[in-house]
Amino acid sequence: MAFETVKVGKPLLLRILPVLSIVMFFTVWEVSVAPPDVHDWRIPSTLLTSPSDAFKLGIDKLTNVNPDGATLLTHAYVSMQEAFLGYILALAIGLPLGLMMGWFSMVRGLARPIFELVRPIPPIAWIPLTIFWFGIGLGGKVFIIWISGIVPCVINAFLGVRMTNPVHIQMARTFGASDWKIFTSVCVPSALPMVFGALQIALAYCWVTLVGAELLASDQGLGFLITMGRNLGRTDIVILGMVSVGLAGAVIGVIIDRVEAKLLAGIRR
Amino acid sequence: MKDVSVNIHDANAPVKISCKDLTMTFVQKGTHVVPVLDNVSIDVHDQELLVVLGPGQCGKTTLLRMIAGLETPTNGTISLDGEEVTSPGPDRGLVFQSYMLFPWHTVEKNVSIGLEMKGLSHDDIQKTVSHYIQLVGLKGFEKYYPHQLSGGMKQRVGIARAFAMSPKVMLMDEPFGQLDAQTRLFMEQETERIWLQEKRTMVFVTNNIDEALLLGDRIVTMEGKLPGRVKSSYAVDLPRPRDPMSIGFLTLRQTITDEQELTL
Amino acid sequence: MSNASQNVCNEVIVAGGDRKPFNIVAFLRNEYFLSCVSLLFFFSFWHWAASSHVLGHTSALATPMEVLSRLAELFTSTLAGLTMWGHIWASLKRVLIGFTLAALLGVPLGLVMALNPYVNAIVKPIIDIFKPMPPLAWISVAILWFGVQETPKIFIIVIGSFIPALLNSYNSVLLIEPELYDVVRVLGGKRWDEIRLVCIPASLPAISAGLQISMSSAWGCVLAAELVSSRSGLGYIIIQGMKVSDPAMVLGGMVVIAVIAWLISQTLEWADRKLCPWRRDIKSF
Repeated sequence: MAFETVKVGKPLLLRILPVLSIVMFFTVWEVSVAPPDVHDWRIPSTLLTSPSDAFKLGIDKLTNVNPDGATLLTHAYVSMQEAFLGYILALAIGLPLGLMMGWFSMVRGLARPIFELVRPIPPIAWIPLTIFWFGIGLGGKVFIIWISGIVPCVINAFLGVRMTNPVHIQMARTFGASDWKIFTSVCVPSALPMVFGALQIALAYCWVTLVGAELLASDQGLGFLITMGRNLGRTDIVILGMVSVGLAGAVIGVIIDRVEAKLLAGIRR
Repeated sequence: MKDVSVNIHDANAPVKISCKDLTMTFVQKGTHVVPVLDNVSIDVHDQELLVVLGPGQCGKTTLLRMIAGLETPTNGTISLDGEEVTSPGPDRGLVFQSYMLFPWHTVEKNVSIGLEMKGLSHDDIQKTVSHYIQLVGLKGFEKYYPHQLSGGMKQRVGIARAFAMSPKVMLMDEPFGQLDAQTRLFMEQETERIWLQEKRTMVFVTNNIDEALLLGDRIVTMEGKLPGRVKSSYAVDLPRPRDPMSIGFLTLRQTITDEQELTL
Repeated sequence: MSNASQNVCNEVIVAGGDRKPFNIVAFLRNEYFLSCVSLLFFFSFWHWAASSHVLGHTSALATPMEVLSRLAELFTSTLAGLTMWGHIWASLKRVLIGFTLAALLGVPLGLVMALNPYVNAIVKPIIDIFKPMPPLAWISVAILWFGVQETPKIFIIVIGSFIPALLNSYNSVLLIEPELYDVVRVLGGKRWDEIRLVCIPASLPAISAGLQISMSSAWGCVLAAELVSSRSGLGYIIIQGMKVSDPAMVLGGMVVIAVIAWLISQTLEWADRKLCPWRRDIKSF
């Protein structure tokens, strides 16, 4: 982009290449997998499932509870529920905490050492401990997702407040505003762009952790579907699970984007 | 104040750069057509300091970039010493408005980078670099990084970088626009000093009338709106160094100011 | 920017001169004092929660002292044939191999994608399809394809660290000031000079930041892979601890994991400062 002079629209080739690329990708994938019980030059179906077979299975599992105990939608719903709960909790606790840590040295002094102790631990590492405390259930997974989401929230909110223009703060002080008033009317609004950045990052972290948590400690959900597929030797279920996880993640990402665009409709980034 | 009648340019000097009937239109967002220049013809004489004066958004930066070869006119030709200009090159040095130094290199390396591309020997590069750093008055700052320099110093590095390539023509695109008034005045005087010491053809773009009168041998004014057109041309027959309080200076200033329409 | 940008909080700044007399209230509100209080409280609470079995069954938590002694044990005796050092190295080795592969693949590809619109048009849609898929979702497939040895773990690490490295190197090129290319062209440079003199140095800070993210992702992935199926490594330690109901081992493993992660990130930050000594406006936590 930096080297192109101004052109009238993109050349046709550039516009169709993405579509071609995706089509090629799926075609190659489809063509290179042999149907079940067929052994030829193609990849055996024990290792990979073709997109058409995965799609057929997907349609089937919309209603069929075999062999893992729930329909596809139930799994998806459980996963999204866990992710959503953990995510919202992370936002609700992490954002205010981070904002206050940025401004009030007392909050910072109290919260920071604990945060710095917890922060380097990858969320996945909490799983065994969580199983001790909560067993395999909703509570444990929400806890892990909450931990993974809270870190970017606190960091971004903190940075957002630290990056407040000092001139605005000085101006508020000349008006005689108290510390708390300055916090609410100068620091928090000016931290909003970073806060919205945190929304996206935290969601990505939460979703990644969710899948990990479900792989190891769950009896429902999309991650569980993937593990169950492997345990049963059903590669097609595994592939279906993976695709569903990806799709669900993409859908959630798009929803968050829309929400953010609506909320930020007046504020310049 | 020294009254030295030095270097009044010779109007019969050969034409160095010739711009004929330049027209330029930009296309924004695929459909929006913006006419930037309309049939602009300017001749720059050898060893002359030509100032292109005009308010913001009048196409003068585009004109300069076309002479530099960074933009291609939709119509018209530009020739330097008789040869058509088609692409950028070290024979036309350009000083940018926002300095554009490489933040990851020291002052020394910033100035020498063009010379390294030319393939000169290490000793030649060293000699040239230290000569020009001294010329712009930055001796002692060779190992500094751009973020450690003030705006005026950064621009001096930019000037040294352009001069070091020994270009046939120096092009300066509102180089002091981002400086405060006093630094700006100082830099204008420095530019005059440097130009007098190492004479070469220069095209200087600005929106500041005083700057134009302080520096220019000839001033070409542009219309105050797009598409840009040449309005008029003034020969500045005042002795150097210019005295901003002399009658000649102030009279010419009045004339040009009267001619400029107030554009909001 | 001056130091004014640092004074964003309501700290009391003493601008030299006389020292104020000791003020108990100010002392109690001092940030560092509060940090010490906080840490003390944290460890005391931990100890109390562990010893009073407030979380129900006896094996839910271990006191800090128990954790330390278990760690000392692990560092000297062997577990599954390796001391703690051996396990640390097992995890680190996987991370290093996977991270290096991912960086070698991702950074150049990101640069090429940003510079060549045709490569971009072909590759970006595929990346966008795979981007929302968490690396851990690949574990089952990886085990299916590669067995249970080192390869699936390295595969997961590569998948997890490849995308951040690629995206950051891609975005870094897009953020470059376009006029910098003009500088090179005016000095007589060609396209290759533009890449060599502007693209690569200008994108280094962002690439470095991307590699830091990449590394923390790699660390998380190796742990997850080891949790699922492994016979060595730090992830193995904590899953073993869970299997034999030994919270001291689990907590000890988590402590080691945290320390190693912190050491790695400090190393990368140091390397970042060395590599990019010119100023960048990114504030740090």
